[in-house]
Amino acid sequence: MATINLVDLKKNYGSVPAVKGINLSVKDGELIVLVGPSGCGKSTLLRMVAGLESVTSGRIEIAGRDVVKAEPAERDIAMVFQNYALYPHMTVRQNLEYGLKNRGTPREEIDRRVKEAADILEIGPMLDRKPRQLSGGQRQRVAMGRAIVREPAAFLFDEPLSNLDAKLRVQMRVEIRKLQRRLKTTSLYVTHDQLEAMTLADRLVVMNNGLVEQLGTPTEVYDRPATLFVAGFIGSPPMNLLSLESIAGAPGFEGLNLPDGTDVIGIRPDQLVLDQPTGQNLALAASVELLEPIGGESHLHVRLTGSNQAVILSVPGRPDIAEGAAVTLYARPADLHPFNRESGRRTDTAVANP
Amino acid sequence: MQTKRTIFPNKLLPYLLLAPQLAVTLIFFIWPAVQAVKSSFEREDPFGFKTTFIWFDNYKRLFADPTYLNSVGKTAVFAVSVTLLAMSVSLLLAVSVNRVLRTNRLYTTLLVWPYAVAPVVVGILWWFMFNPSIGIAPYLLRGLGINWNHRIDGSHAMLLVIIAASWKQISYNFLFFVAGLQSVPQSLTEAAAIDGAGPFKRFWTIVFPLLSPTTFFLLIVNINYAMFDTFGIIDATTSGGPAQATNILVYKVYADGFLGLNIGSSAAQSVVLMLIVIALTAIQFRYIERRVQY
Repeated sequence: MATINLVDLKKNYGSVPAVKGINLSVKDGELIVLVGPSGCGKSTLLRMVAGLESVTSGRIEIAGRDVVKAEPAERDIAMVFQNYALYPHMTVRQNLEYGLKNRGTPREEIDRRVKEAADILEIGPMLDRKPRQLSGGQRQRVAMGRAIVREPAAFLFDEPLSNLDAKLRVQMRVEIRKLQRRLKTTSLYVTHDQLEAMTLADRLVVMNNGLVEQLGTPTEVYDRPATLFVAGFIGSPPMNLLSLESIAGAPGFEGLNLPDGTDVIGIRPDQLVLDQPTGQNLALAASVELLEPIGGESHLHVRLTGSNQAVILSVPGRPDIAEGAAVTLYARPADLHPFNRESGRRTDTAVANP
Repeated sequence: MQTKRTIFPNKLLPYLLLAPQLAVTLIFFIWPAVQAVKSSFEREDPFGFKTTFIWFDNYKRLFADPTYLNSVGKTAVFAVSVTLLAMSVSLLLAVSVNRVLRTNRLYTTLLVWPYAVAPVVVGILWWFMFNPSIGIAPYLLRGLGINWNHRIDGSHAMLLVIIAASWKQISYNFLFFVAGLQSVPQSLTEAAAIDGAGPFKRFWTIVFPLLSPTTFFLLIVNINYAMFDTFGIIDATTSGGPAQATNILVYKVYADGFLGLNIGSSAAQSVVLMLIVIALTAIQFRYIERRVQY
C-alpha cells in the first residue's frame, strides 16, 4: 500500500533525451497504465521507478520516501518482466522463495506466502517443476506469483502480456485486473497495446516522445482526447482526422460553431452513421472503397467526394453496400473533436460537451 | 533440433567427399595410436636390430618405477593447479569485462592476445622473467625476502610452469566465459536485484549456475590442455627439472622415448596417458549430462 510520485523526472542517454520531464502521482491502490508507441520512453520510465535505470534529474517517491538513490531491492517494489525473467535453474517454488529468502523471511512465513500465492494463481501443482516445463501462460502466472509473495508497496508491469497469444492475453488481462482489485496494490503497468490499456487502467497515461500527452481515466481519454496524437493513438480503428477544407462545403457545416483556431476535425468511426439522425447534422458525401466485415460490425472504408480524403466508419452488422457506391455520412456536431494542427491540441475547452 | 538431411543419388559420392578427412584422421591419428599400442608391447634391443614381443612387461615395470609414480603425482598437482588458476582468473576477468560497457571490446581483444603466442615462446617469456640471474621477478622477490631459484628449488619450478601454462590458457577460457556471460539474460540479474540479492549473491545464485555448461566444458578442455598441450612450456622453461620436479607425464613420454631412447616404455606411458584422458572425458561428459541442465 503506497503512493508513487514522480516529480519532473528526466532521463538522457548521452545527449539524447528519452524521458523529458514527467510528473505523475499514483494514488494508493490505483492501477496506472503507461501507454504509447515504442520508443516513447514508457519502459525507461518504469525501469527508473524500479531502480534499474539511473535518473538524470527529478524525484521518485514511493510511499513518501525519495528513492532516486536507493537500490532496486530497497524500493519495496516487485516487477513482472516482459520475458518473465524466471530463474531457469530453480523450481517454481524456489523462484517464488528467492526474494523472501534474500530478505531473511522466517521459514513458516515463506511457506505461508508461497502457498497463498499458489492458491490465488492456481499454480500449486506446478511448484516443483522447472520454468521450462511450463507453458507461456503458466510462466506468466509464476512471474506474477513472484511479485505477489513479496507483498510489496507497488507492482511494476513491463508489457507482461506481450509474449502470450491473443486468446491467453485477454484471459490474463482479466486475471491481472481481478488480482489487482483484490490485493489493492498500487501498480504501474506499461503496454503498447491500447486495448489492454483501456481495459486495465484506473487512469491512463498516454506518452509520446518522452512526454505525457494526456492523463485521465480511459473514458476521458477516449471521449475527449487532448491532443491529435492521443486522438490518433487511442481507439481502433483510429479516429478520422479531417482537415477543415475537406468538409468546409458540406451541408450542416455552417451551423457547427467551431472554436477559433480549429483546422482539423476528428470523428470516431463509430460516430459516423449512414442513416440521417434527427436534429442538425454534418453531412459528408463519399464513395465506398472497401467493406471489411469483422463479425458483429463492419468497417467501411470510404473517400470523401471532392477532397478525396480517406475515412473509416464502423457500421453495425453487414450492410449490403457495393464498392464504388455513393453514400452520405452523418455526424452529430457534439461528436466532433476540434483540433489545431500547429499546436496539436484541442481547440475547445476542457469542459465536456453534453 | 532437426537435422538437415541430404540425399546423395550416388552411393560413392558421400564416401569420396569424406575421404580427405578420413585420410587425415587415419594417417595422422589412428595409425600412430595403433603404432604406440603395438610398441608398448615390445622391447627393442640396444642396436635396433630386433624387437621382441613381451606382453605387459613394459607396463609392469612402469608401475613399479618410482620416477613414474612421482611423475603421476606431479601431473596431478600441475593439472589441478593450472585448471583452477586458469579458470578462476579468466572468470574474474570475464565478469569484470562484462560489467564495463564502453571499453568492453578493447579489453576482450587485448586479453585474447596471449592465446596467439606459441607455447614455447610462452615458456621462454616466463623463463626470462623468472630467470634467477637476469629476470625481473626474482629481483623483485628478493626485495620481499624470497630467494627465487627454480633451477634448484622444485616447488619454485612447479610454480613457474603452473603460472606460465595458466597464463596461456586464460585467454581461451576468458573468451568462452565472456560468451557464456552474455548469454545470461540481463533481465534475470535485474529480477534478482529487485528480489533483494546483492551483486555477489546474484553472481553465485543466478549467473554462475547458468554458466555451468560453459564451466564444465572448460573444465574438460583445461584438464586436457594441462596434461597434453603443455609440453612446449615445460620444455622451454624447466625441461622437467630440477630433479624430476616438473616432469609431468607428457614430458616424460618425450624424455624417455626420444632422449632416453626407451621406445617400449615411452609407448606404454603414452597409452596410459591416452586411457586417462579417455576416462576423464567419458566421466565428465556423463556427469555433465546428468548435472548441467535446467
